[in-house]
Amino acid sequence: MKKLLCVLLLSTGLVLNAQEKKDITLTGKQLFGALSARQIGPALMSGRITDLELHPTNNRIIFAGTAGGGVWKSNDGGATFNPIFDDHCQSIGVVTLDPKKPDQVVWVGTGETWTRNSTSLGDGLYKSTDGGNNWEKIGFEKSDRISSIVINPDNTDEMYVGVLGALWGDSEERGVYKSTDGGITWNKILYIDQKTGASDVVMDPSDSNTLYTSMWEFRRTAWSFNSGGFNSALYKSTDSGKTWNKIHNGFPEGKLGRIAIAIAPSKPEILYSVLETEKASDKGLYRSDDGGNSWKHLNSDFELVVRPFYFSRIVVDPKNPDVVVKAGLSGSISRDGGKTFKNLGNMHSDIHDIAFDINDSDRMYAGTDGGVYRSWNGGTTMEIVENIPVSQFYHISVDNEEPYNIYGGLQDNGSWWGPSASPGGIEARDWKRVGVGDGFRVLRHPTKKIIYSEMQGADNVWRYDIERNQNNTIQPLAVKGDPKLRFNWNAPMAVSDHQPDRLYMGSQFVHVSEDMGDSWKKISPDLTTNDPVKTDQSKTGGLSKDNSGAENHCTIFTIAESPVDEDVIWAGTDDGNVQVTTNGGKSWTNTTPNIAGLPANTWCYHIEASVHGKGTAYAVFDGHTKNDMSPYVYKTTDYGKTWTSIATDQIESFARNIQEDHENENLLFLGTELGLYITVDGGKNWSKFTNNMPATAVHFIDLQKKTNDLVMGTHGRGVIIIDDIAPLRQIDQELLQKDVHFFDTKPTVMKEQNGFGGGSTELQFVGPNPSSDAKIMYYLKKRHTFGKMTMKIQDQEGNVLATPTPSKSKGINIVKWNYNYKLPKIAKAKTVTFGGFTAPQVPAGTYNVILKKGKQTYEHDLVLVNDPRSRMTDAQRIAKHDIDMKLYDMNQELAYIVYGVDETIAKAQTIAKEDPKAKKIANKLIDELNALKETMVITSGDNYVDSSEPQLREKLATTYGKIVGSFTPPSVSDLENVALIEERFNEAKASFEKIKSKRLKKLNDFIAKNSLEPLTIKTMEEFLSE
Amino acid sequence: MKISKLALALVMLMTFSLSVSAQTVDEIIDNYLENTGGKEAWTTVEGLKMKGKVQIPSQGLDLPIAGVQLKDGRQISSAEFQGQTFVQQAYDGETAWGTNFMTMKAEKSDSEATENLKRSFAEFPDPFLNYKEKGFEAELVGNETVDGVETFKVKLTKKPVMVDGKEEENVVYYFFDPENFVPIMQESVAKTGPAKGAKTQSFFSDYEEFGGFYFPLTTEVKANGQVFQTVTMETIEVNPEVDEAMFAMPEVVETEEKK
Repeated sequence: MKKLLCVLLLSTGLVLNAQEKKDITLTGKQLFGALSARQIGPALMSGRITDLELHPTNNRIIFAGTAGGGVWKSNDGGATFNPIFDDHCQSIGVVTLDPKKPDQVVWVGTGETWTRNSTSLGDGLYKSTDGGNNWEKIGFEKSDRISSIVINPDNTDEMYVGVLGALWGDSEERGVYKSTDGGITWNKILYIDQKTGASDVVMDPSDSNTLYTSMWEFRRTAWSFNSGGFNSALYKSTDSGKTWNKIHNGFPEGKLGRIAIAIAPSKPEILYSVLETEKASDKGLYRSDDGGNSWKHLNSDFELVVRPFYFSRIVVDPKNPDVVVKAGLSGSISRDGGKTFKNLGNMHSDIHDIAFDINDSDRMYAGTDGGVYRSWNGGTTMEIVENIPVSQFYHISVDNEEPYNIYGGLQDNGSWWGPSASPGGIEARDWKRVGVGDGFRVLRHPTKKIIYSEMQGADNVWRYDIERNQNNTIQPLAVKGDPKLRFNWNAPMAVSDHQPDRLYMGSQFVHVSEDMGDSWKKISPDLTTNDPVKTDQSKTGGLSKDNSGAENHCTIFTIAESPVDEDVIWAGTDDGNVQVTTNGGKSWTNTTPNIAGLPANTWCYHIEASVHGKGTAYAVFDGHTKNDMSPYVYKTTDYGKTWTSIATDQIESFARNIQEDHENENLLFLGTELGLYITVDGGKNWSKFTNNMPATAVHFIDLQKKTNDLVMGTHGRGVIIIDDIAPLRQIDQELLQKDVHFFDTKPTVMKEQNGFGGGSTELQFVGPNPSSDAKIMYYLKKRHTFGKMTMKIQDQEGNVLATPTPSKSKGINIVKWNYNYKLPKIAKAKTVTFGGFTAPQVPAGTYNVILKKGKQTYEHDLVLVNDPRSRMTDAQRIAKHDIDMKLYDMNQELAYIVYGVDETIAKAQTIAKEDPKAKKIANKLIDELNALKETMVITSGDNYVDSSEPQLREKLATTYGKIVGSFTPPSVSDLENVALIEERFNEAKASFEKIKSKRLKKLNDFIAKNSLEPLTIKTMEEFLSE
Repeated sequence: MKISKLALALVMLMTFSLSVSAQTVDEIIDNYLENTGGKEAWTTVEGLKMKGKVQIPSQGLDLPIAGVQLKDGRQISSAEFQGQTFVQQAYDGETAWGTNFMTMKAEKSDSEATENLKRSFAEFPDPFLNYKEKGFEAELVGNETVDGVETFKVKLTKKPVMVDGKEEENVVYYFFDPENFVPIMQESVAKTGPAKGAKTQSFFSDYEEFGGFYFPLTTEVKANGQVFQTVTMETIEVNPEVDEAMFAMPEVVETEEKK
């Protein structure tokens, strides 16, 4: 026994020793603690909605699946929506509610099925059993895109999933799957081949044995798209999916493309289908009145045939089989069974789904490239839902103003710029447009009020003069001897850190302008592979030609001039080259052969030229267009002669962008398809950042140099900011081993701002502002749960100014202080005086933060500095502070006097009651005190319009509030008013003293004479410290 | 001395590793109730009286608050500013009421709020105490990292609540620290108010003992990663003596003629 104990002790000791020496590696929430992201939208242009789902019995509940922003739920009939799927893949194919338990069971199939070039990927099927608050992944990890989830309403354990499958490669995980045990096990019941997936599965609402499935043969590459083939077909099963038969009677022969299918819920033998066919005259709407036995071609209108890969949904009014709506560029509705159509009302173009309210078909919802729209009149008038910030940025940048602005371009929503902070929050109206079409790179001129922006394929590159509201189009144009310039859909553009007027653009060549785009010269040869197979887009699209420019390939995609040396320029191409020049473009070296482990022709998405060394750069490659979802992240310190991979298997999906820290070379931020990753050790370990940060595709990251804010352009959740990443710079082993560590923070500028803001309605998204408070940031080795942990902030004299509640997370904690004194104690009265809710700012200086955790005390200095933009001189500021504090003290003194009056009255009343002999003395005292009190405070009325004439307290507090609340010296008028109030204040004080010395003395004498309990009044100090 | 300390550490290490491995929801709940005072003892709690403060950082407010709640549902909670007391929520056995800020007079809560308040009485003094008898359902749904701690996530389905005339399921998730089995966070979806439909989290810390029971003295309420309210209790009295008149809704006094 003794031996055993020894062994145990020994082993425990070893464990303890080993733990002492071991490095601490914190990941995820353990590291980031309370460091949280700020989602600022914008929502005014919203973003692509892929699928709408209505509750079968409660029309307050609506779900919207989005292309890159997850799932949103409305509980108020579509007035507002909330995100409910933030922790998971944000690309949504379909949302389906369980017909029997629609309040609890929600299914989400991830992976958008509107297969444009920029679409994100899915990673499987998810289920919620609590209405969408929590989710579990059920499977289909490799499905890429789920188009349909169909549940038998009579037996909800029987369900079908339609898998469209991989967009960028072959896949066997396609077709229709069936479960008979509520999704636990699945069988593939319809499969064609590795190229053909299920684009729609629908069930006859009157007969759960009858199912229809459309199969679609499709494929995308980085340089082409194909829709159609001999395997595309429409199938029907009447035996719950055991056997399937093609139902093409009335369809044309030959290849088919994407096929839409819908059943009229009120008359299920009526079917509508939209075909993509070889011949233009065969395309469009088909109708069957006999459950698919025969079809009749009705209509080839533009809206019915436009871009089938992008618009392939038909929705039939649940109450009327002849009212049918087709998704499309504008969306169109037929009220005659499909014979004729008219466009839906004015809304954002590119309509992907439509839903009719369950009770009233006049109420409709539409999901577009620009958000969810509601209609109250059958689709004629459309209004946008204004609180779904699912904007899809391709790129963002920031400027150096205060507050800084954010610039960026969006999928199908132009280019915009808006502030990182705005009075009342960042509202829709704060965003200004700087481009149309699809927007990409938007850059602010480093010194002038000029913005550069572009639209797809550099069709237009704008130089926008903010002050004059003028545009010039400045894109590089071909000159004599040039081949056709190939610009990417998302063409690279860069400004220089060295020459403010310099602008770079990339086609297959690097173009440079030294005069803000007025003239251009080529400073490189064709830097791409210039592969003719990949540069002919004239036939792209398949059965429906789709040469939008989105597939332009063999182009430069990223350009980076070294911030250390302007002669070092990097260019990365979409066909896998990383080229560098060290002589301003005289000669270029392709460094790609030096990158070990990188598959050939993998798209170079971003090059980050480092501030830490001339030859240092990072390159991020995205292989997803070759169906390769691995992250490729490399670093070089020798101009690309050698590259080292800094990606680890902690990163779940492919990456597009990297941002280095400007101070700590080991701190890096990686934008991936499934969110943001951060390393604090140069890439040895990566942690996903999930604090208020959805798993959305992060396309571009910038780091604002003054604020250290990390600004992300996400492709589905707008702009997301992590305010001040400075604590991450300071994390090292020494720090991690400490129980408590205060991070160094920059001195806090005490903002002098009190303007108006706001005005948005509760239905509009408003992005939160960064806090302007002083931040106390500290690391805790362990979460604090038991016993007290408190914080106080003291001035140099040891006066406690604030007692903020410390946060207690393991990892990084942030506590805020508004650098104000506590609110003054205000005299008790019948009403509230609003001036009393103002507190003066403390003077600039160093303050002491004292953190008490159990018996341990930790201290930290906090430095506050004055706002450099202040209109006050130092002398004025001191004078203002004096008057602020004088009024502050007067408020408190008045509170104390009124307290004394109240106590005295109460005492007098008691004595008068107890001893009739005292009545006369007491009543005179009471009368005089009451008369005095009525001049000091309001004694009647309410806080609204039943208000009484303001007395001393109200006048004092109002003037106090006015003076303290402003950031200018008190005006002459203010001071005159103060003098008046002070006079009245002194009079009141004197009156009280007089009453005390005469009337109260008599009462006190009476008390003493009769040996009664004397009047006790707290000292002022006691009173104030209550 | 040295040895016994180490042995203790070893035992704790072993119990700790046992505790994080296999747990049922009832073991977690039993441990929680045991560690915070004992299940039997919790059933003897007839009333609680608390005093503390609420901080609302966005408005720079730091207000004294007080509250009393009895097992039968009678309760009053109030905040104070400028020497005035505002009743946020009170129930006298029949009527739920609160102070209207404009008039500073008592007004009845709307019938749905009253109904929901009544449905919440069963949660006193702790929703997990005899939760099955209350008709609640608890389920261990997995582990989740909260404040850097790998917690047990427990789903508690309480009595349904009424939301704008429709009955809705009332689910709250609790996240238990595996070391000491107290919840360090709870999460739910706001059913009404401006945050309707959004998740809010309450973080619990500073657990201390009062009258033989452990209570979290600090509750930090967050939504979208931002703290919007912190409640800090200074004292908690278990089974206090109370003047029952305090719960009664004050009579509405006619406005005086004098203006």
